[in-house]
Amino acid sequence: MAANPKITEDRLDALREEAARTGKVQDHGIAPVGSPFPKPAAAVSYHGNPVLKPPTWTWQVPLYFFVGGVAGISAVIALAAHLFGNAGVLRAGLWIGLLGALVSAPLLIADLGRPSRFLNMLRVFKLQSAMSVGAWTLSGYSSAVGLAVVCHELILAGYGNNFLLVLEWAAEISAAVSGLILASYTSVLLGVTAIPVWSENRRLVPVVFLAGGLGSAAGVLELLGFLLPVTQFIGIVASAVETLVAIVIELRGRYVDRPLREGTVGWLTRAGAALAGPTSLLLRVFWGHSSMARYVAAVCFVTGALISRYAWIAAGRVSSRDPQALFRIQRPAHNSAAH
Amino acid sequence: MRTSAFLTDASVCIGCKACEVACKEWNHIPDDGFEWTGQSYDNTHALGASTWRHVLFLEEKKPMGPQLAGIEEPFRWQFLSDVCKHCENAGCLEACPTGAIVRTELKSVFVQQDVCNGCGYCVVSCPFGVVDKNHEVGTAFKCTFCYDRQRDGLMPACAKACPTRSIRFGEWEELRQEAQVRVKELQDRGYNDAQIYDPTGSSVGGTHAIFLILGQPEAYNLPPAPEVPTIHMKSAWGAALFSALVVVLVVFLAFAL
Amino acid sequence: MAENHPVGFQWVIEARERGAKVIHVDPRFSRTSAMADIWAPLRAGSDILFLGALIHYVLENKKDFREYVTHYTNASIILPEEFKDTEDLSGVFSGWDAKNRRYDSSAWLYGACVEGGRVAPKSAGPHSGHCKDGAGAGADLADCECDPTLSHPRCVYQVLKKHYSRYTPELVERFCGVPRERFLKIAETFCSASGPEKTGAICYALGWTQQSKGPQIIRAAAILQLLLGNVGRPGGGILALRGHASIQGSTDIPTLYDILPGYLPMPNLGLDSHNLADYVAIHRDPTGWWWNFDKYIVSLLKAYYGEGAKKENDWGFNWLPRVTGDHSHQGYFLEMLDGKVEGLFVMGQNPAVAAPNSRVERKALSKLKWLVVRDMVELETASFWYDSPEVERDELRPEGIATEVFLLPAAGHAEKDGCFTNTQRLLQWHQKAVDPPGDARSETWFMYHLGRRLKEKAKQDPRPRNAGLSALTWDYSVGGTMQEPKVEEVLQEINGYKVADRTLVSGFNELKADGSTACGCWIYTGVFPRPGENRANQRNSQDLWGHGWGFAWPADRRILYNRASARPDGRPWSERKKLVWWDEQNREWTGLDVPDFTRTKAPDYKPPKHAQGDEALAGDKPFILHPDGTGWIFAPKGLADGPLPTHYEGLEAPVSNPLYPDQQSNPAAMREERPDNRYASSPDDRFPYVMSTYRLTEHHTSGAMSRMLPHLAELQPEFFCEISPELASERGIENGGWVTVMTPRGIVEARALVTRRMRPLPINGKMLHQVGVPYHWGSRGLVKGDSANDLVAISEEPNVRIMEAKGILCDVSPGRRARGKAALDQLNAHLGRK
Repeated sequence: MAANPKITEDRLDALREEAARTGKVQDHGIAPVGSPFPKPAAAVSYHGNPVLKPPTWTWQVPLYFFVGGVAGISAVIALAAHLFGNAGVLRAGLWIGLLGALVSAPLLIADLGRPSRFLNMLRVFKLQSAMSVGAWTLSGYSSAVGLAVVCHELILAGYGNNFLLVLEWAAEISAAVSGLILASYTSVLLGVTAIPVWSENRRLVPVVFLAGGLGSAAGVLELLGFLLPVTQFIGIVASAVETLVAIVIELRGRYVDRPLREGTVGWLTRAGAALAGPTSLLLRVFWGHSSMARYVAAVCFVTGALISRYAWIAAGRVSSRDPQALFRIQRPAHNSAAH
Repeated sequence: MRTSAFLTDASVCIGCKACEVACKEWNHIPDDGFEWTGQSYDNTHALGASTWRHVLFLEEKKPMGPQLAGIEEPFRWQFLSDVCKHCENAGCLEACPTGAIVRTELKSVFVQQDVCNGCGYCVVSCPFGVVDKNHEVGTAFKCTFCYDRQRDGLMPACAKACPTRSIRFGEWEELRQEAQVRVKELQDRGYNDAQIYDPTGSSVGGTHAIFLILGQPEAYNLPPAPEVPTIHMKSAWGAALFSALVVVLVVFLAFAL
Repeated sequence: MAENHPVGFQWVIEARERGAKVIHVDPRFSRTSAMADIWAPLRAGSDILFLGALIHYVLENKKDFREYVTHYTNASIILPEEFKDTEDLSGVFSGWDAKNRRYDSSAWLYGACVEGGRVAPKSAGPHSGHCKDGAGAGADLADCECDPTLSHPRCVYQVLKKHYSRYTPELVERFCGVPRERFLKIAETFCSASGPEKTGAICYALGWTQQSKGPQIIRAAAILQLLLGNVGRPGGGILALRGHASIQGSTDIPTLYDILPGYLPMPNLGLDSHNLADYVAIHRDPTGWWWNFDKYIVSLLKAYYGEGAKKENDWGFNWLPRVTGDHSHQGYFLEMLDGKVEGLFVMGQNPAVAAPNSRVERKALSKLKWLVVRDMVELETASFWYDSPEVERDELRPEGIATEVFLLPAAGHAEKDGCFTNTQRLLQWHQKAVDPPGDARSETWFMYHLGRRLKEKAKQDPRPRNAGLSALTWDYSVGGTMQEPKVEEVLQEINGYKVADRTLVSGFNELKADGSTACGCWIYTGVFPRPGENRANQRNSQDLWGHGWGFAWPADRRILYNRASARPDGRPWSERKKLVWWDEQNREWTGLDVPDFTRTKAPDYKPPKHAQGDEALAGDKPFILHPDGTGWIFAPKGLADGPLPTHYEGLEAPVSNPLYPDQQSNPAAMREERPDNRYASSPDDRFPYVMSTYRLTEHHTSGAMSRMLPHLAELQPEFFCEISPELASERGIENGGWVTVMTPRGIVEARALVTRRMRPLPINGKMLHQVGVPYHWGSRGLVKGDSANDLVAISEEPNVRIMEAKGILCDVSPGRRARGKAALDQLNAHLGRK
């Protein structure tokens, strides 16, 4: 590979074009360090058309992912607050959980092609369908957190008795458990699909979504005035995880992750990750004493987490359009469908 | 109860699109718009909510068996009619939260239009990119395997219309045998890259639409190793569980510390 | 065939699957090519060169089926010394009248008419190409000298050899663009399908017919098939793939100006029209089946005029119209353009898009006083006055058009009873399934009631000119709410009946010349032999040949001239290829098909001297409609432009004629050159590429029906032009972009489809680009586009007056054309270039 001076993009393009046209390259090629060789033989598809269908979900769905995450984790925080005796956080957590639930259902219903048939979600329960699990979870969670709030407020208002106390505990525990599922199932919803960037990141997205829900719940609490060590701790952990995930995605350099790194969606992903990750982390670590900084960190995280939901859906759309993303996962095919 | 299937044979398809039209006429499917693609003679583009049979047109620099076509280099033009695979393990069926998508007594995969509420989850769960949502009607649509016709003892409209019997319809097992015989016959005649596309070895478990293709599946936008997405359930839920446990830990640590 | 006869093509696939070899020769690589075993690209317009080279190959390599050729063709006939071939006369045959640009085809006769000096048959004139023998006069071809060894230098076989001696594989490579090895592979493969055990078939369509020498191209294929012994045998023959469901029917029961039903000639004023006796004398061949000509014309006249047709008035012969000029489509449209035609009925046709030089067609329509259009949609022919390109370009203004347009709704084919006759000569009845909606009515309804009303008016007006109209039999029953005529009665009339008691006849042998029989079309006799037995409506196929499903004319003979499927001694050529044979015991012809031969004529029958009609043909002469019973390798009559096909270039060509520099194109073809119908020179720097129009599976002819139906319109939504990657790269055209195509006639824009299926051909040392132009678009419908026929000239092939739409010169440039009037400026600017 010694004396080839023309190591330029043009030369690479010319080689690719020649290979695509004739099936082979006459000259020896160039292999700049770190760059992919022209590999036209692998890029067979039908006119470059997509194999898969893009997700049909509209803006309500990523918003729901975010709201559901906040709501679900809030219930967990509320339960912990209850256990550790922080009444303010408990009450705030429960109410955030309830409001989140109340906003979630209309968001999901609005995205349906036939909204009037939303109740059909409860016709069956299918464990293998994350959306079925999610529909039931949302129903269960909404009931649990609603019950918890009712009980809590009743007790606060003076109508408390043992029965209500037990009921509240039960409701809070149910809300916390179902809240965890609510906050995490959406990652499984994406992971258990045919869309390459989702299915190939099925182990990573739960981390992203849960960290996002966690940090956003803490962030919302902070914006409501709860600037506590608890929320600071949670905030730091969440943004540290977000930072780590972002680094992993960038460094892993997989073809299937290209939508997360390239083009508009790449920038959207990075924007979300930057806000929820390093920005929030640095603000908290180095300026954690300043309330202003913490408010800003909270806003950054919440915004970043919201953006990142949209980015993941958009990445799915881009990924669905690239036939090579799908083919590369499946080749070499140890279970070839063709024989 | 009989199990019906399609065997679609590219080697005798003449690209006439009678299957596309017969399907649309029988099922009262609207047109998909009048956009010219410049992709050979294929202006249908892909299967979708309003296209349940799609004829592909492949112009390739390869020989078609013993055919003498190209002049200075090999050339061939081949056609194939694509359709819903009616998988043994169907991604759309597993994903459907309302139970709208069911397995019929014919073993086909069918979307009940009075149940579907248009959540769109089947759309991203199909490893072949078949089912899609009709945005005007609001529900998901795909090939019904002419359920109504089959129940009256008729064959699907596309198979009926196909003039060269490229689309064959019949008993699944018989068509599977026929495919084996046919691919061997083609290979003996010099069609070296003739192969059967029927993902029996994958988690899809085989399909009720078997294809006889020439060349690699990718050329037809057929996934070489399709999987039903539910194989990812364990790893996905596992990661979710793990992350959830970490969340619980973090929250409790936050309060404890 | 796969493109335009996909359902019929399944049988080609079936044959291929059983080991038949499919060869496709075409300027472009179509869906048929994709299914063929061998494909060769061809320069459009060079078909006779290609076929001639195949003939040359057969003769050079002695691959002809000798026994068949000797007995069944006129190869052994010795031509008179006076006859001169194109090789002798630098590109024309003897008999060429350069001043009037016509042949005196009597120069090609042989046989008794040549004895004692040349007999000039009273030719029926130049306007009669579609009928029997081109309405050439009956000729006595008997008593001819022959050489069964085929070695006499003046025998047809040797003259043929000399005629095609320069049609070599090298010439094919150089001027057709077919590589030599590919050509030889085709020759070898096809010519091996010959002999007692094997046959081969040739199928053709408009790639051959729409040229200034179309019939001659088909003749070349016929010669090849006769040499290989493939005519009249199973798996052999020539299949003319026609353009619509019933266009065969529309030449059998003609909508053509120069023929009457059953290919009888329309009388030509002053030539054969004086009286019936003269007419019959001219057209009736003294030998062969056309000896029965008088029976057919008289029976036809009785069907037309019923009781009004009497011996005394020549059976109403004088009520038939006379041809007085060129009443072909091209002819009368040009007259229309010159303001000489008052009114026009257009029924199920769309000349505004489908006719050549459609700009001229649309302008011609604007000169009519009235226009009646009957169709299922408002197509371009009906809407020309407000939405044609001419209106957009300000060439026509709606307020300036005086044409009164009547648009009447027509019933679709499922809304009426009727009959299609397809490419296979098969009559298939179709039944009405539903009533037509609203005011829509069938053609039968329209013509019947129009005729009825005209007859009523004629009753009030006893001028002699109305006598024929009044005499017309018009007594079909009508029924139903719409007063629909009973179409089966029409079919019965076509079948024929005995006048006295109206019993239906069962075969054309029952027809008489004495006025006792009536028959609407002699070749269809037998389709309705008994009341209630509509054989066109039968759907019970009994055998491989389909007997029991529909009715093939004549007499349900599925393969014409099938006597040739047996040896001269009457035994089948082989067990494998047996079809009909002589049954010695029962002394009759029998077999798997209805014999196309007199049933009781023995194979060794020798005609007595001075025998007439069919009795004059020997027992081993299968081609019973020819006066000598042989297959004509050399055609002594019937064609206006030569007894042997000769390579001429098209009326516009990229090269000079390599064989005959003195005779560039078909000398007898008519260019109809005028300012709005100009031609390029051959070659022409302004128009360096060669184009042909053609069809796609997804649309139907002018697109009037298919562009209105969403399920078809979406399959091919835009007008496109197929271009090779080399041409695209040369002119900077990208796949998916736009191109403008220009010829001296017109300018259109189309999407660019750049594909390997089009390829430049090395022609005489230079790369020649060919482009493909499907013609289905017009200004109306769900999908619209420019009309390809704006590019095609009005020209007339000398026999049948068809235009040349293949192999014409054009220019293709990237980008869309100018809009409105500016488009014409763009065209004129291009024309002005040198």
